Amino acid sequence: MKRNSIVITVVLFILAVFAWAGWANWEYRKQAAEKAIASTAHAELVPDAAGGMPQFVSPLKGKPAPAFVLEDLSGKRVSLASYKGKAVLINFWATWCGPCEVETPWLVELRNQYAGQGFEILGIDTEADDLPKSDKAGWAKDKAAVQKFVQRQRVQYPVLIDGDSISKPYGGLDDLPTSFFVDRNGTVVAAEVGLSSKADLEANIKKALGE
Amino acid sequence: MAGLMLGAAFLAQGQSDLPGRSILKGAAVEYLFPEQVTVTAGKPSDVVLHFRIAQGLHINSHTPKDEFLIPTTFSIPDGTGVRLDKATYPAGEEFTLPLDPSTKLSVYTGEFTIEARIVAAAGNHLVEAKLRYQACDKNACLPPKTIPVAIDVIGK
Repeated sequence: MKRNSIVITVVLFILAVFAWAGWANWEYRKQAAEKAIASTAHAELVPDAAGGMPQFVSPLKGKPAPAFVLEDLSGKRVSLASYKGKAVLINFWATWCGPCEVETPWLVELRNQYAGQGFEILGIDTEADDLPKSDKAGWAKDKAAVQKFVQRQRVQYPVLIDGDSISKPYGGLDDLPTSFFVDRNGTVVAAEVGLSSKADLEANIKKALGE
Repeated sequence: MAGLMLGAAFLAQGQSDLPGRSILKGAAVEYLFPEQVTVTAGKPSDVVLHFRIAQGLHINSHTPKDEFLIPTTFSIPDGTGVRLDKATYPAGEEFTLPLDPSTKLSVYTGEFTIEARIVAAAGNHLVEAKLRYQACDKNACLPPKTIPVAIDVIGK
């Protein structure tokens, strides 16, 4: 009888230890996951102070724009770093994105208007079709579509391809268009997700120019 | 007992596989029904497939008005014992973006159906058909996506 009690006590103790271990493991994983999410550049929508539509708030705001080197349509490698000293609008877009097509003529006009003040746009095509580097036919097809789009819209600013490869440091780019406005020192001063008005784009360009 | 405690503590602090944070939002389009159809083997049969688009989103119709937009397309892979003879899509609704009333888009919203004419061999075929679409709301777009459309086709 006494032996049975000891065995039962030991078994219960072992079960309690494993239950504690399971709970502690779950807590650890939960905290680590929350920490990981908090550390990524994930954007949020926050209510406008005036009670209007929620405003996009990027955690990149006030931080250096993540560096990148991508190819343009001629195959030349272009780095963000080479634009230091200029205000830059990094515009992620795709050929299949209707709102991107609407804002592109505005971007073309604004670029022409402010280029003289040291402003440039980098249009970064982000087709999100997960093509492996080995799929040469797929890349050629994407590139041909981008070239056609760019010609139709008379885009004169640099257009870079494979925006998907730099999606992560820019917050995932779940929605297109997404734009980051970078000042002459390389700091993100504003960001926009989705189609915004030409006036909003212009206001943010002026912010990037330091006006 | 000390060893047991140590083992449990190791379990508690062990290397965890952090849950990945998906960059994609939930599927914009959901296949509703039918899950199972019975058709005459070897003969073309019409099956009406029902889908639902998440509230606030739209997808391009099968015939979008711009060459760059991705049409909604239904397909059945080869080798499933079921062949897609023809797919009939609904006409799109006209839609304009609030910031550009001059551009007219052709889209589907809410629930829509696709009429698939299929030819099935005799037997039971678990078909994983596909629906490819590209969804947007009034200001932004999500990447194109292909979802599975699972149908149990019985050819008799």
